[in-house]
Amino acid sequence: MAIRATDVTRPSTGPAAARTVDALKVYGKGQTEVRALDGVSVEFAAGRFTAIMGPSGSGKSTLLHCIAGLDSLSSGKAFIGNADLSTLDDQKLTILRRDRVGFIFQAYNLVPTLTAIENITLPLTLAGHKGDQAWIDNVVATMGIGQRLQHRPSELSGGQQQRVAVARALATRPQIIFADEPTGNLDSRSGAEVLQFMRQAVDDMGQTIVMVTHDPVAASYADRIVFLADGRIVDEMHQPTAERVLERMKRFGE
Amino acid sequence: MFRTTLKGLLAHKRRMFTTALAVTLGVAFMAGTLVLTDTIGKTFDDLFGDVYKNTDAVVRAEAAFEGPMSSGAQRGRVDESLVASLRRVSGVAVVEGQVQGYARLVGKDGKAIGNPQMGAPTFGGNWSEAKELNPFTLVAGQPPGADNEVVIDKKSAEDGKLAVGDTTTVLVQGPPQQVRIAGIAKFGTADSPGGASFTLFTGPAAQRLVAEPGKFDSIALVAVEGVSQPELVSRLTPVLPGGVEAVTGAAVTTENQDDLREGFSFFNTFLLVFAVVALLVGGFMIFNTFSITVAQRTRENGLLRALGASRRQILSSVLVEATAIGVVASALGLAAGIAVAGALKGMLAAFGFDIPGRGVVLSASTVVTSVVAGMVVTLVAALSPARKAAKIPPIAAMRAQVAGSAGYGSKQRILVGLLLLVVGVSAMLIGLFGDTGTTVGAVGLGVLLVFFGVSVLGRTISLPLSRALGSPLPRLRGAAGTLARENAMRNPKRTAASASALMIGVGIVGFITILASSTKASIDASTDRAVTGDFVVDSGAGMVGGIDPGMAGQLNALPEVAVATGLSRGFAEVDGSPQMVAGLDPKTAFELLDVKPIQGSPADLGRDAIGVFGEKAEEQGLKLGDRVPVVFKDTGPQSLRVALIYDEDQPVGSYILGVDAFEANFANRYDAQVFVKKAEGASTAATRAAVERVAGAYAGAEVFDQEQFKAEQGAAVDQVLGLVYALLALAIIIALMGIGNTLALSIFERTRELGLLRAVGMTRKQLRSTIRWESVIIAVQGTVLGLLIGVFFGWALVTALTDEGIDQFDLPVGSLAVVVVLAAIAGVVAAVGPSRRAANLNVLGAIASE
Repeated sequence: MAIRATDVTRPSTGPAAARTVDALKVYGKGQTEVRALDGVSVEFAAGRFTAIMGPSGSGKSTLLHCIAGLDSLSSGKAFIGNADLSTLDDQKLTILRRDRVGFIFQAYNLVPTLTAIENITLPLTLAGHKGDQAWIDNVVATMGIGQRLQHRPSELSGGQQQRVAVARALATRPQIIFADEPTGNLDSRSGAEVLQFMRQAVDDMGQTIVMVTHDPVAASYADRIVFLADGRIVDEMHQPTAERVLERMKRFGE
Repeated sequence: MFRTTLKGLLAHKRRMFTTALAVTLGVAFMAGTLVLTDTIGKTFDDLFGDVYKNTDAVVRAEAAFEGPMSSGAQRGRVDESLVASLRRVSGVAVVEGQVQGYARLVGKDGKAIGNPQMGAPTFGGNWSEAKELNPFTLVAGQPPGADNEVVIDKKSAEDGKLAVGDTTTVLVQGPPQQVRIAGIAKFGTADSPGGASFTLFTGPAAQRLVAEPGKFDSIALVAVEGVSQPELVSRLTPVLPGGVEAVTGAAVTTENQDDLREGFSFFNTFLLVFAVVALLVGGFMIFNTFSITVAQRTRENGLLRALGASRRQILSSVLVEATAIGVVASALGLAAGIAVAGALKGMLAAFGFDIPGRGVVLSASTVVTSVVAGMVVTLVAALSPARKAAKIPPIAAMRAQVAGSAGYGSKQRILVGLLLLVVGVSAMLIGLFGDTGTTVGAVGLGVLLVFFGVSVLGRTISLPLSRALGSPLPRLRGAAGTLARENAMRNPKRTAASASALMIGVGIVGFITILASSTKASIDASTDRAVTGDFVVDSGAGMVGGIDPGMAGQLNALPEVAVATGLSRGFAEVDGSPQMVAGLDPKTAFELLDVKPIQGSPADLGRDAIGVFGEKAEEQGLKLGDRVPVVFKDTGPQSLRVALIYDEDQPVGSYILGVDAFEANFANRYDAQVFVKKAEGASTAATRAAVERVAGAYAGAEVFDQEQFKAEQGAAVDQVLGLVYALLALAIIIALMGIGNTLALSIFERTRELGLLRAVGMTRKQLRSTIRWESVIIAVQGTVLGLLIGVFFGWALVTALTDEGIDQFDLPVGSLAVVVVLAAIAGVVAAVGPSRRAANLNVLGAIASE
């Protein structure tokens, strides 16, 4: 059963779900200094699916990690909603991630000792509440994993594992979901499925998703693409197609 | 290959350190014990060498028999007139008679000095007039000049705060004596010989107060220049009466040295057992560490195989790593052993046995034994993981890392485990209850097999056990609890191996606890059955000496007392075996001590009669009226008639002599305890006050009621128990370090998973809690298994010892529950380091890690 946007309380447009202001991230010192992020200011609109692209070393993963509260900026600011991440300690950051952020990683997304459903509800259990059962049922149905809930990750295919991961990210109805190469380890068919589910989460459930990828096909599922090179935003594209993205990416090679 | 191994070792310093530490502790304990043994041996060799430095020959009664409980040869005394005839033998320069017996000094505070019941004995003797023969050197005052003057050892003077010129009381045979401290002396360079207390009188006073008038325990002689020791002995021998012997000073020195070593051999064996337990537990830890690291390096080893390393090379690379750890750990253990020896020495001193002098003796055999033991344990423990490493196929390099198999245990494994268990239990039961009597070998083998059987079955038992132990956790601790339980269950093999190490230590603790509490319960029960009086006056003396039998008479004269009777003890050889025999007054004793006569009557315990404990009589085939050959040191072989067979051997023991027979055959008589029954109509408080007034004259004597008496008798058991616990703590600490190490390695393995958990919102506190509870599950698991085994061992041994008087099986539920709680707390402590490290992981780094 699909969920229509009207079921969701969160408005599909409006203020940014997350943003950075002059984000600077420097690794090393002196001769070996590397500016992974060199003054990035970017906004991610609520209810939209945004992709971050760029060649290796462009700083796209660093940007994702810093907005998601997994890494800290050297200077500048990162916000989730109105929360300034630089003002939060580890405990508050953790709780923010638990309650307001969803994650989908490239691989090893799931805790091997827990079943699929336990993995999906993990952030809720960590917070000590049950969550909205009807919502979780909807998410599970949307992801098409209803038959596999009592299985452990080792008993699921790669695609199924990633769908469980998407379901987990959705389970808490987070303000924003960050995905880091979510299809990087999947074959193209499973990858397409997972991307389709992510698209559906945005369209039908009004989710906000920010995804890092280097795959033009994956990026074409997004509403908007932000291009990074050498730690700076160099371009932007709306309503992308795979061909246009590929075209743009080729220019990085020049 | 070798270089690769060593580089790998250095890359994992922490892992190597904790693994090595397990072996180091075991080796340190073993080395410490051996060093202490050598040090004690050397110290006393030197001491006795000094004491008998100038003694060329000793004349003494021949040994009548070898005393029970390593008390040495029992000899009578020689007549003092012998001194005069020895002096006439040509070649004799100096002759002096010597006595030694029980005397106990009272300190300035009115309390008796020393604790002969638990620690070093207290002696009285004569101050040697012959300078050559006197091992003591005055450090203050003068030799005793009159019968009421004494020289005391420096340690007693310090303990009792006594100074030259002070007047104090000394307990001897007969009524307590008032004496003046004439001098204070050192024993060679030590303040006292081995912590013992000495009160030295003038010759005649010593004879009268601690021995017998007109008699000497031995006569020491010095030869004139040019007469050798054997020459002197051969000249002395012709003038000796029958039953008296002359031996060289050198022989007496060796004899004393050997006696002391023998006295300590039990203690050494005792300590070595704990060292072996510690090493065994350390072995488990090494096995576990290597198993985990081999599993973690599956891909690395697969790569090495793919690149052309042979199985043998992989095998030897692990063994080289083990050897390196073994060498380093054993060497460190040896060094630490010297410190351990110092600590053990301190512990002995706390028990009243001072070893004079400083310095320690490190013999070559100690070095070899310790290092070899450490190496063997390390290599044996690493062998199976090494073989597993060698079996890794090259294809493993290509596969995703699968660290550690689930390992629930194959059918064959379960079968082998069960077989070991069955054989172990059978061997133990046959050893304990078989017709051949208790055979220590079979029991020991059984115990070992049971431990191994349970270890082999460990991984099979572990899964359901972790599930059961962890079942309250999800409710108590939410997601952290669920994860803790799942983590404890995810690798049953590893959980079981960590728990096994703890199981051994706790198993032994449980077993000893049960044995001790059953022993106390048995003493209590038999005291309740046998002692029908109201009070007991305990002498506070140990094996030597006691209260003047006159005190029982004084108590009997009190109007508040219905009857009082003394219990004396002495050694004799009954029917060819050395025994402790009790001396009782048949006229009064059996009103207070119900020995439950089976045959005969206590009234018949006359001058030539003996009472025999029922089970002993059965064992020896003795019937009422039979004649038993008994050898006494003072009167030699006697023939006594069995006049009483009785059923209750507490507190009297297996043989009873009537007071007439006792006095006829023992030159000295002391009461170890005096039992008192209050007169009808007298109040308990008034009787107690009256008894205490009389007993007050005998410092060191204490008045107990029945309950206090039972507690006092149990106190000795508790003291041994405390010592055993202290020693076992080592094995348990090693096992806990093992749990910590396993956790640390598991965390290393789960880095990425932990990163994920933190990323999706697990707080540091929750993560710490997860690891802490996993540790608690492992610790409690080991403890529960250990206690089950311990209870079984305890039950088996107590049942087997029913004949030896331990007829109550007491399961100290409270104490055992405390052990479980302590184990849980220890689990928390073991998890402190690993959980902190896990909580401080950098989330991003953890997710990105391979």
